Amino acid sequence: MLKVDHVWVRRGAGFALRNISLSLFPGKTLAVVGESGAGKSTLIATILDLVKPWKGEITWAGASVQTCSPGLVMQEPRAAFNPVLSLRQSVLEPIVARNEDMPHERIKRLSDSLELSLEIFDRYPGEISIGQAQRVAILRALIAAPPLVLLDEPLSALDAVIQKHTAKLISDLQQEEGFAAMIVTHDLGYAMAYADEIAVIKSGGIEEVSTPQTFAKESKSGYSRLLMEAAMALGALEPSA
Amino acid sequence: MILSVSGLSATRSGRTILHPTSLDIEQCESIGLVGVSGSGKSTFGHMLIDDLRSKGLKVAHVPQSPEEALDPLRSMRFHWHEAERALGLDTGSTDKKTLFTALKIEDGDLRKRPWGWSRGMQQRFVIAMALISSPDLIVLDEPTSALDPVTAAATMDLLEQHREDLNTAMILITHDLGLAARRVSKLMVMHDGRIVEQASTEDILERPKTDVAKYLVAHRSWAVVPC
Repeated sequence: MLKVDHVWVRRGAGFALRNISLSLFPGKTLAVVGESGAGKSTLIATILDLVKPWKGEITWAGASVQTCSPGLVMQEPRAAFNPVLSLRQSVLEPIVARNEDMPHERIKRLSDSLELSLEIFDRYPGEISIGQAQRVAILRALIAAPPLVLLDEPLSALDAVIQKHTAKLISDLQQEEGFAAMIVTHDLGYAMAYADEIAVIKSGGIEEVSTPQTFAKESKSGYSRLLMEAAMALGALEPSA
Repeated sequence: MILSVSGLSATRSGRTILHPTSLDIEQCESIGLVGVSGSGKSTFGHMLIDDLRSKGLKVAHVPQSPEEALDPLRSMRFHWHEAERALGLDTGSTDKKTLFTALKIEDGDLRKRPWGWSRGMQQRFVIAMALISSPDLIVLDEPTSALDPVTAAATMDLLEQHREDLNTAMILITHDLGLAARRVSKLMVMHDGRIVEQASTEDILERPKTDVAKYLVAHRSWAVVPC
């Protein structure tokens, strides 16, 4: 499992992350929600070892997170691909980098699950829709069967309808593959619909960690309440009658 | 006063992206223009704005991304003064402070150029420009896409407030039916360059007729929660 243990990250004279502790088990989904600048993306960068913690440590099954080669899906799917490589070349990069055999079967299966036709891989990033590009990015993140996948605002570039469709595909795929997923999002609706646990982060610190059910009923921190109300006011969540 | 346009259409590279469309907007009415990406919503918005402006009406526009509204080589102060001049006001005569405070951009440095501000702040600056005088109609194209939810909700509330004070009609263009349903009294569903369904928000949510409307209604929110 992923264990984030009392992690502090410095930024300038202050801290970008303060005393963050989280755990995530295989097959489970943890959503990290909070406003822009709260430290959500810094948390992802720290888990990927791109940023060194000042204090504390992050492990996967007791070893460094690098040992499990986590998959990463980012916000802007088109920007995530090299525009002069075909999608096939981009998608296979994790495999080529490891000198492994081509997992034709796996590509076929993942493409089916993500509702992508195989001919799409002959195209270039500029030739497909943004929704398709994000599904290809998800496929690339999963191609080497990582036990942990980090998703940094994976749906925010997509339109409201495609968001819901893609979220369902990710969730179904997670059922089949059993990976642990950490989803960073500012969309509380997405978190409420798909996460096993929601961690609310504000100014680099954790305000609250709870299940969606508890979150809806008895959010403790004032900020969580504010997020709930905003999600309602924007129609992301519907109040029950 | 009723604003009305009729027979607006558009073609691009020989393809019709907006079939002849007419629309009447009552004073102070709020209309949501919804549909999936590429259905012609923004095109209709642009045509509508051009048509009404050519008739001498005051129409404010908040485009989908602030880059469309702001010149990267000009300071924010220049943009503000330009907006005042366009409305025939003396530069510096408008109450910038109240608007900026309400939109929480009062700390933004007006000497900077747009890219010196965050996208969310740029978006709110454009919204502030749209609220300078009292337009007859304000057209908002995905106004909350660059904003985080708490700011987005607060900004929509503020817009609503101003609109009521100013008696301004609103067209909200969005792919997010959940958002539109909360903010408008009437919905128009677009598909393939046509308005395929229009009715009161309540009617569409409860009795969508076309497949597109049914699809949008089914995907309008993430979850139902007790509260």
